[in-house]
Amino acid sequence: MRRWTKTAAGLLLSSMVVVSACGGNGGNNEGGTAGDKVKLTVWHNWTGQDGKAIAMRGLLEQFEADHPNIELETEGLPTDGLKTRLRTVAAANEMPDLFVMWPDVMTKEFVGGDLIQPINDYLDSKPEWRDNFIENALDGYTVDDNIYSVPMNLAPTSFIYYNQAIFDEHNVSVPQTWDELLAAVETFKEGGVIPIALGNKANWFVQSTIFSTIGDRITGSDWFLKAASQDGASFTDPQFVEALEKLQELGEAGAFQQGFNSIDENQMVQLYFQGKAAMFISGGWAMANVVSNAPEDILSQTHVALLPAIEGGAGDPASTAGVVGTGMGISSKLEGARKDAAMELLYALAGPEGQQATLDSATLVSYNIPLDESKASPLFVELYNLMQDTKISPVYDSKLSSAAVEVTNNSLQELLNGGDPQTIAQRIQDAQAAAVKRQ
Amino acid sequence: MKALSSRKFILMGLLPATLIYALFVFVPVIWSSYYGFFDWSGIGEAHYIGFDNYVEIFRDPIFWTALNNNIIFVLASVFGQIPIALIVAILVQKDGRLTRFLRTAVFMPMVLSTVVIGMIWQYIYHPQIGILNFLLQALGLESWQRVWLSEDYGIFSLIPPLIWSFVGLYLIIFIAALQNIPGEIHDAANLDGATGARKLWSVTLPMIKGTIIVAVVLCISGSLKSFDLVYIMTRGGPAHATELLATYMYNSTFSSYRYGFGSAISTTIVLISLVLIGISQWIMSLKSKSKT
Repeated sequence: MRRWTKTAAGLLLSSMVVVSACGGNGGNNEGGTAGDKVKLTVWHNWTGQDGKAIAMRGLLEQFEADHPNIELETEGLPTDGLKTRLRTVAAANEMPDLFVMWPDVMTKEFVGGDLIQPINDYLDSKPEWRDNFIENALDGYTVDDNIYSVPMNLAPTSFIYYNQAIFDEHNVSVPQTWDELLAAVETFKEGGVIPIALGNKANWFVQSTIFSTIGDRITGSDWFLKAASQDGASFTDPQFVEALEKLQELGEAGAFQQGFNSIDENQMVQLYFQGKAAMFISGGWAMANVVSNAPEDILSQTHVALLPAIEGGAGDPASTAGVVGTGMGISSKLEGARKDAAMELLYALAGPEGQQATLDSATLVSYNIPLDESKASPLFVELYNLMQDTKISPVYDSKLSSAAVEVTNNSLQELLNGGDPQTIAQRIQDAQAAAVKRQ
Repeated sequence: MKALSSRKFILMGLLPATLIYALFVFVPVIWSSYYGFFDWSGIGEAHYIGFDNYVEIFRDPIFWTALNNNIIFVLASVFGQIPIALIVAILVQKDGRLTRFLRTAVFMPMVLSTVVIGMIWQYIYHPQIGILNFLLQALGLESWQRVWLSEDYGIFSLIPPLIWSFVGLYLIIFIAALQNIPGEIHDAANLDGATGARKLWSVTLPMIKGTIIVAVVLCISGSLKSFDLVYIMTRGGPAHATELLATYMYNSTFSSYRYGFGSAISTTIVLISLVLIGISQWIMSLKSKSKT
């Protein structure tokens, strides 16, 4: 019913455009402008007070100001809430016109449900834009050679953010190897400082920011991709069990403060901001928060590094787990004037200007544009330069099925509380195997 | 004739409410139990798989943890909220400045949103900067300090906020019931020389017995549905340690995206609730029979 009225309204609108265009010169403009308005619903997760959210909201406002004939009905939701809402409306086949969408699994599922439409034609009409994305940036949004969106940022998920003053005070240098990391943990613990602040209440956190990288260091990306597709590798393989054991070893060494499973990411960063912790491990997204909210004395001492290498591992130590960032999905129901408007908005947000605005707000992008080092925060310049020679390896939750991700997240909480790595490996294997079979 | 038309009138009067109830409660329950027979991710095709979801639920250790935790919640509510509310109600039923203040203070959490309550208690329990651990330290009880919302203590740590947030509701119900006891009965009791504890046991409590039973039923059904407080404070974690039936259903549906499986859990919850309510009805009918 709603769908029918919407399409009817759309047809009516477009026919009015044609009519008013035909009798255009000197006609009655007042009635025309009101009727010409194209309305788009937009759902996003730019609700915070960090630089990126403010920049993206600014782009939306700018777009509305530049396009008086397009009316945006925007709705901002926190990230977890947005993901849930999207799934819920997907089940009812009532997607908003444009929405922030994640690459890989979510994109594939939406394409499978015929909920979003490809943007190939529009992308091809702007080749200088299309060709300026970094290598493989569009892979996560590509299904059967159709491209469904482009990334608006880049989200490497694990960096060590560390406080140089605390490191100096305890005579510790940035750990380059696993043993050095364990030694640093020991020193900080003896010195009464939390070695690594951690907030794993939202249980994806350890999986995404710590384990995806540790796992890749040991198993290598090839093994992981094979295991994820259940093709020639299994999560019960010894290298995966070893990766679980490594994480457990770090936990047992006392690297994290007590009760890390009961506080959230914000409280984790608070501990660091208060100078109670020497490090925390988080993704590139934490940068915008550190730069705009850290106390001056902490910010000036904060630096970023990659997780240390792990001896004998199959993975590349000069890498961090990560995904290309979110893109805008475009509902498959849009056509005509509304589709054109949606494409224009996509370009405003993810085109060169949008990418520049994102980069200026201390967020990495998957797009080749230089950083203006004189304007950016020194810490962000450091991260930007670090990323120039760092490869991106797959994050677990972008490649595993939703059900297996949920099992992994909960199992890692259990692992850090003394769970048995072998049992946990088996459980993850079972969940992923069942999900692959269901597909 | 007249009886018939008044019956018609009653039926007509009931119709809107019945329709709304059927549409928004009954139909979704049936609909959801129908989905429980499918393997469905919420997007795309649903595959009929018979009772597989139910078999999986009963084999899933998380389901049994959730059920166990839920029973702890029901018991804690019935034996925590109701006695406390009753005692406080008896203490503060007389009007006065202090009692009015106390009543408001106990009722306060009822007007707070669960999110606020959850946040407050999260900071009380915070392992590093929490008030509770700080107090214990100030009192020299360091050995009692805990990571309150952990795998080992989480479910018990959730009980105080649960009781605290709902005691006000039962307090109001009990105060209303106490004030409804006619003054003559108190006068008669006084004439017979019943005072203090004797009057409480033999006169006051029997007079509000009906209200207490209603409160117990409300309490059982309310705590079976518990979701928001736990979701805000622990999300059912760490590692499912504080999972309740409702959070188990929610996480399966909206984190694992298994809508069919989640629907099967909802149906199981409905069945469990029906059984529990049936049992409590049966116990109460036994009691009233033995009296007569």
